[in-house]
Amino acid sequence: MSIETLKACGIIILLAPLLGAILAGALGRAALRGATHFVVIGGVGTAAVFAFVLFGEVLGAHGEGVSETIPIYNWLTAGGGKWFEVEFLIDPLTAVMLVTVTFISTLVVIYSRDYMRHGDHPESGYERFFAYLGLFVFSMCALVLGGNFLLLYLGWEAVGLCSYLLIGFYYPKPEAAAAAKKAFLVNRVGDFGFGLGIFLIYITFGTLNYGAVFDAIEQGLADGTLETGRLTAIALLLLCGACGKSAQLPLHVWLPDAMEGPSPVSALIHAATMVTAGIYMVARCGAIFTASTTAMTVVAIIGAATAFFAATVALTQTDMKRILAYSTISQLGYMFLGLGVFAAGSAVFHLFTHAFFKALLFLGAGSVMHAMGGIIDVRQFGGLRKLLPWTFLTFMIGALALAGFPFTSGFFSKDEIIHHAFSAHWLFGAVGLVTAVMTAFYTFRMVFLAFFGEERVPEGVHAHESGPWMLFPLIVLSVGALGVGYLGFPGHNFHHFLEPVFEKTFLAHGAHAGHAVQDAVHGGSEVAKHAASFWSKYGLLFISGALSILAIMAAWGVYGRQPWIADMVRASAPKAYNLLHNKYYVDEFYDRTIVRPLRTLGRICVGLDNYLVDGLIFVITWIPRGLGYALSLLQRGPVQGYGLTMALGLVLIIWFVLAG
Amino acid sequence: MNGSAWFTQLLPEWILLIGGCLVLFLGATRSARSSNQLPFISLVVVLAALVVSVLRPVEGLATTAAPGLLLTELTNYVRFVALGVGLLLALVNWHQPISSERGEYLAMMLFSLLGVLLTASANDLLVLFFAIELVSVPTYVLIGLSRDDSRAPESTVKYFFLGAMAAAVLAYGLSFLYGVAGTTTMYVVRDGTLQSTLALGAGMDGLALIGLLLVFGGLCFKIAAVPFHFYAPDVYEGAASPVTGLLGFVPKIAGFVALLKIFGAMDWALPTSFLWIVWLVAAASMTFGNVQALLQQNAKRVLAYSSIAHSGYMLIALLVGPLAGAGPMRDGVLALLFYIGIYGAMNLGVFALLASYQRDAKSIELIDEFKGLAAKAPIAALALAACLFSLMGFPPTAGLLGKLYIFSSAFSLDQSHAFHGPLVALAIIGLLNSAIAAAYYLRLVAAAYMQSNDPDSAPVPKEGMGARLGLVCCAVAMIGLFVSPMSLVRRAKPVDVVLTGNEVSTVLTAAPEDSSAVVLAKPLDSESASSR
Repeated sequence: MSIETLKACGIIILLAPLLGAILAGALGRAALRGATHFVVIGGVGTAAVFAFVLFGEVLGAHGEGVSETIPIYNWLTAGGGKWFEVEFLIDPLTAVMLVTVTFISTLVVIYSRDYMRHGDHPESGYERFFAYLGLFVFSMCALVLGGNFLLLYLGWEAVGLCSYLLIGFYYPKPEAAAAAKKAFLVNRVGDFGFGLGIFLIYITFGTLNYGAVFDAIEQGLADGTLETGRLTAIALLLLCGACGKSAQLPLHVWLPDAMEGPSPVSALIHAATMVTAGIYMVARCGAIFTASTTAMTVVAIIGAATAFFAATVALTQTDMKRILAYSTISQLGYMFLGLGVFAAGSAVFHLFTHAFFKALLFLGAGSVMHAMGGIIDVRQFGGLRKLLPWTFLTFMIGALALAGFPFTSGFFSKDEIIHHAFSAHWLFGAVGLVTAVMTAFYTFRMVFLAFFGEERVPEGVHAHESGPWMLFPLIVLSVGALGVGYLGFPGHNFHHFLEPVFEKTFLAHGAHAGHAVQDAVHGGSEVAKHAASFWSKYGLLFISGALSILAIMAAWGVYGRQPWIADMVRASAPKAYNLLHNKYYVDEFYDRTIVRPLRTLGRICVGLDNYLVDGLIFVITWIPRGLGYALSLLQRGPVQGYGLTMALGLVLIIWFVLAG
Repeated sequence: MNGSAWFTQLLPEWILLIGGCLVLFLGATRSARSSNQLPFISLVVVLAALVVSVLRPVEGLATTAAPGLLLTELTNYVRFVALGVGLLLALVNWHQPISSERGEYLAMMLFSLLGVLLTASANDLLVLFFAIELVSVPTYVLIGLSRDDSRAPESTVKYFFLGAMAAAVLAYGLSFLYGVAGTTTMYVVRDGTLQSTLALGAGMDGLALIGLLLVFGGLCFKIAAVPFHFYAPDVYEGAASPVTGLLGFVPKIAGFVALLKIFGAMDWALPTSFLWIVWLVAAASMTFGNVQALLQQNAKRVLAYSSIAHSGYMLIALLVGPLAGAGPMRDGVLALLFYIGIYGAMNLGVFALLASYQRDAKSIELIDEFKGLAAKAPIAALALAACLFSLMGFPPTAGLLGKLYIFSSAFSLDQSHAFHGPLVALAIIGLLNSAIAAAYYLRLVAAAYMQSNDPDSAPVPKEGMGARLGLVCCAVAMIGLFVSPMSLVRRAKPVDVVLTGNEVSTVLTAAPEDSSAVVLAKPLDSESASSR
């Protein structure tokens, strides 16, 4: 592996999408118009190709990957000879993230070509859409490639900006504008903590470079100069940011509303890539998190609680994209749970498989929405499997993977997390298992309601299968949703590849904490142990597989055959149903406790501002204006006057110096 | 020194001179006047000079190419910046003037740039004077040729008379320096170091001080600092926009480079009373410039006052000089050099916009005439906003870094320095002024973006892409230098070593302790000393 190759790849991966975005933004409206997608597909596609090259380089390094910090250039001086550098950190984690991000992005951009037009006419804002997408890919790659916390923060905020712009893409629609604002504000809350965490890192270690910070932690813990309390504080502050970006409790409220954005955006940003930035960050900062038992416990609890909570809400929703949004929150909760129980490899593996099947589901939902003329409520249509055969087939595959149906990719990755959760604490494992059952149930509730039963479409809608630009990504993704699980099972290749990244952090601490993580990751390294531990290792696979099938059958029983059961349940426990259907009233709670008091405070401030502050400002601004007016009397035009003033000034200066 | 050094060392200057003459002669033929030949030749000439100066930089401490000239790292930097902005100037002036004096016009532009280059290399007070005048004289002509209406001659006459007066003051001051020092040579290379022959140090008497003050006064006219600034608003308003963009940069960089050389030749060992004069001029320039800009309705007058204010900011960096240490956040010389470079581009960007749009067949000038620009020409409006944000010192533009470097250099002067307190006060005045300045720059942005959404009410683009291309290049440069400031800082970094470097410490350790005329410069603190 040569550093030069890695550096070149990294730069191309960054610049190609940016170039595409700039071209789309600058020339889109004037020249490219309906062909704008070509430049962005080109840019993002190039990035994907080089991401694979980079991946190959890392893979081929020593068979197990390496970690390289590659300085690009000095950016800003921090005074005292210190620099903030633009640098890449390339290791197996970076490689996995880059491949995931760029590959899914390419497919989504291709899909958007047809999605963003009606018939042959591009929607208004077609160019803007593609420019934003390119900008997003650039920002996300910068986030992942960056070799220090400053670049991480910049990328973090840049993807947030793109998310805001894309949620509010249909900004004339009040719901879209409100959703965009909500996403932005909720993320501000998290990012405030995130920023503080980074400041604290800089104060503590005097650098923001990943390698330097992590080495300093290792050193400080070894010789006892570093307090764990400080690390806990940093970890919890960083976690605030992760909760905002990855929509974990209690900052999850923005993600369901974010579905106001176009479906490709939901698939790419709000399911497959951006929302996983929190998982990436925690995995990257393993040295900080694993040093603090408190922080790890908090991560695990937040993850488990979110997974369970979001799954219950998803049981009662009727909007396909909202069901999928809550399912995303729930799956992200699984990933946090995995991180919290020291199974970072499994968390990243689930991130990887989830990206495929969740992007597939969102794009499938988008395809349904496209066919239904913008309607996405499962109560208004049904039996679509014959009308949209390809969409149905691919959606079904995505749903099976999400439900954890045996031998799909979701089955392997989710099961690993549950396995590790059990070895940390039985409660975590139990929550994981129950959530898995609910996941299978709500997923197939949606499938049966939308695709089975009597054929129904909303009035005046001419349903049609989507064109090849949309079907191609669906098919590629469904192959991925079926197949990528085998990268991690049964050979554990995926984990071996990531092992160097987590060796000193998650794996070492996990072993210390008495978890059987090492064993599970190395997957039966000892033959003698193998037979005895077979059930402890694979027993859970059978159990969760069976539960998943049972849940799907239950969903079939209720929604496919006997719909009255659902009505009966709803009627018999209206309070519980309403609680879930209204998402535990979290939004209402925030509205009462935070939004309204703040708004009242805001009104008071506006009053003060209008009368008190503006009055003061008026007085203050009068000073420079008055001075300016007085001085302008000197500036009247005749050149003799100017000459005289200059000469007088000079005389005054010389007098001042010689006299003083 | 051998015969060919005359030519090879000064190749960029020769290219400008020969190219200028070529343009001048070709301009006499009818066919060249009507086509795009002449602007194209000027662009190629500047580009060729730039390429040569980048490919063949001055190596080593200093090179004596010709009597009175000493090529140093400063030469390298000034060549790079002046020719780089010169390229943008050539673009912006592509369609200017429409009248028949195109050859003369473009030749004058090239000669003026030549003057800047020679100022950077001048090693003799007389050569310095001539170089500065070589900058100024062509600008008088440029203003006169720039447009047909009656305002241009008025501007020319004003600028010419006041300029002549300033030149007289400058020459008079230089004669005092000669009288005291007994030589007109500024530096000699001795024992492998560059040593000042003018350094009057603590032994500075009244005559030398008067000389310095007169020189400072004369150069203040070039940089448009209070109280020698009166011409700026009237002249800016009277000249056509592309020329105004040139007026904001070319005399200013020449003036500041000359000031750097004079301060360097004094080893920054200047009496406190003189420093207070510079302090007052800086404070007054920032404050008067900004408050008067608030009242203007004409964008060119706004920019004229803003130009005065920016000279004030740069004078802070000049005062700090190399005394606060090395590196971008401490070194005043580097801060000044960086700022003058970016100022040239961001200021020119705004004038390029004024030059490329018109209403009723007249170039836009009033702030109100910007309305509707964002709806009609989003790219131009965005580029304008980038340049204005840079002038304000907002992220993500190079202007932020420029201001940061200047102010932090003032703050990082060692506390034991006699002038530490006043410099901190000056930097605070500068910060307050940046806030005031935001008000009038934002008025321009608001006029372009918020006054109207109707493309029909917008100004109409003029024929030709030159000025608009120049505008976009200026904006890209401002963003690019924020992303990668080191690409410019790297070039400016060696300059202070040449100007002061070792000799600051050597001369100053020799300076007598007793100092009624307080010697500002002290041996640098250990950190920066070790970094050299």
